[in-house]
Amino acid sequence: MNCQEVIKFRSVVKRVSRMVRSAAVLLVAAASLTAAVPGDAQASSGAAVPPKQPWSFLGVFGQFDQAALKRGAQVAVQSCLTCHSIKYIKFDQLRQLGFSELEVKAMAEGTGRTKKDPLTSSMDPTAAKESFGVVPPDLSLITKARKGYEDYVYGILVGYASDSDLALANRVMADGKIGAEEAKEVASALLLDGHYPDKMAETLKRMIGGENFNRYFPGNFFAMPQPLMDGAVAYTDGTENSKVQLARDVVTFLAWAAEPTQMERKSLGIKVILYLVVLTIMLYAVKRRIWAKVH
Amino acid sequence: MSKIMEWVDARLPVTELLKSQATEYPTPKNLNYWWNFGSLALLVLIIMIATGLFLAMHYKADANQSFDVVEHIMRDVNYGWLLRYAHANGASFFFMVVYVHILRGMYYGSYRQPREILWWFGIIIFFMMMGTAFMGYVLPWGQMSYWGAAVITNLMSAIPVIGEDLVVWIWGGFSVGDPTLNRFFALHFLLPLVIFGVVILHLWALHAVHSNNPDGIDLHDAKDSIPFHPYYTIKDFYGYGIFMIIFCIFVFYAPNFFLEPDNYIPANPMQTPAHIVPEWYFLPFYAILRSIDFLGSFSKLAGVLAMVGAIMILFVLPFLDRSPVRSFRYRPLSKQLFWIFVVDCIVLGWVGYNPADATIFNGALPLIIIGRTCTAIYFGYFFLLWAITALDIEKHQPVPKSI
Repeated sequence: MNCQEVIKFRSVVKRVSRMVRSAAVLLVAAASLTAAVPGDAQASSGAAVPPKQPWSFLGVFGQFDQAALKRGAQVAVQSCLTCHSIKYIKFDQLRQLGFSELEVKAMAEGTGRTKKDPLTSSMDPTAAKESFGVVPPDLSLITKARKGYEDYVYGILVGYASDSDLALANRVMADGKIGAEEAKEVASALLLDGHYPDKMAETLKRMIGGENFNRYFPGNFFAMPQPLMDGAVAYTDGTENSKVQLARDVVTFLAWAAEPTQMERKSLGIKVILYLVVLTIMLYAVKRRIWAKVH
Repeated sequence: MSKIMEWVDARLPVTELLKSQATEYPTPKNLNYWWNFGSLALLVLIIMIATGLFLAMHYKADANQSFDVVEHIMRDVNYGWLLRYAHANGASFFFMVVYVHILRGMYYGSYRQPREILWWFGIIIFFMMMGTAFMGYVLPWGQMSYWGAAVITNLMSAIPVIGEDLVVWIWGGFSVGDPTLNRFFALHFLLPLVIFGVVILHLWALHAVHSNNPDGIDLHDAKDSIPFHPYYTIKDFYGYGIFMIIFCIFVFYAPNFFLEPDNYIPANPMQTPAHIVPEWYFLPFYAILRSIDFLGSFSKLAGVLAMVGAIMILFVLPFLDRSPVRSFRYRPLSKQLFWIFVVDCIVLGWVGYNPADATIFNGALPLIIIGRTCTAIYFGYFFLLWAITALDIEKHQPVPKSI
């Protein structure tokens, strides 16, 4: 490097360090602000945040588990479609998941439809409203339409009160009030806020009364009874059909249904970005060459 | 070839234009990378108009169909998902780029004499961008589209006497509905073309007075400037490369990062979402709007005036700043005020993101207090910038004579 270059280099270093310093100040300011907020400032609704699940299809190189997709489609058609629609998917599209035309035809006819029909519920919306108080939402976009995305939908499917949860509720509420130790136990088992025993007692009463309790639903109670039980759907590929497995598979399917083009998007993305990186490196080289004359 | 150019030039002086506006157009040689953001904004505008045009070929503005049509574009139209994701993320990147562009202008005093008209055209573009983005966000007709439109259009009712009638006129009915959606689509298609026109005026004003530079001094010496082409064309293209990489990472791998999950729920006039939140680029202004809540029945009008005033005050910035020096590089006090202003805008955005009744430190500090303080600081910036320069409080550092 000649003298001028050294001077220029130093001034660049100085400028960069100044920029880094001001960026650091901004970051610290932002971080101290977020640190001041206990959890999410919106967490007042009281529902627990569903834990993250290791979905194979997320991330830059993530791919769908094809077997899980097929099983999930089976769960969706045999279980979810009883009340919900998945109207942006047609039966015929399920062939993209590896079903044969005959299989698709059989699935469609099993619910009284043809393969050209969308996956709509056989339940009449008015009847649904009468029995549940709400029309069950369409599930086509459900994994994109809720905070927490796939993890939330999975959390809802497995977050209902189990028999042991109910036994706990009955035991705790036997004397009509909740002690400090009991509050802790209930809080950790049902993911409730242990600071408000009165509110907790109210929740347990409703739970014992047979309302649909769910750990992960904001407000804990909603119209949908537990949709998936152990063994609810008979798998043909030998996979264990536990509730948890059914939930995992159907969420995988719903994530596909929410955006069937997502794998095309990701594979195109790699090519586009690699191209841009090479192009940008070349542009930078040309830029340096042209600017070498300027002092 | 030269024969053809001679023929054209005799009728339309293309060569002369390229020469005076590009190959010989003098540009300061010391522009840093913050000066890339103007041309970046033009790139995003072109991306938005191009993707928007193709989206419009498939879109239908209809309260009963729009939500489904957007999903049709996502699923059935060839590369429709790419068009929509590029367009939706493009809006966010447009604002990011333009915010940096505006802040660069504020830091280096690019609004100062003789660049006032250039600056004003910029604010007009910014203002129209906000309107365009707001109306575009309504078009997918999801829950946030609908309720965002309801909340924002309702602000007009704060205008005395005519407010209520004005809102009904804007809606084309007694609530946000099909007529609202249709007129928003028409305006959303029109406004970007108007923006494009004002961008040409912005460039005309720029080329009349030439670029400012990090030292904020006028160019006297020929040695201070270099021709725009090839020096800044290649630098801008390099910037385009970096920008496109970051943009594509979002479009292809985090396309819903800037979108609210609620907007994948079809609009439902009967069900208000738990928490209506505007797009991130409106949040600081939304926070200013909500921070005026202590004036009783005048709060709404005052909030709207404060929100509009937060942008309008930029128009008088050239007259508020009385320093003999343009660039904050040589103005220690102004520089500190500027960074406080930047942090203040970020905090305002965070306040705007949270519900109006949210608190921190276990309820000890309501966010509304922070919102009010930050609103005061926002306007305080403009007052103090005037005060320290008009009253000669700031002692500037020595400014170089030439680049």
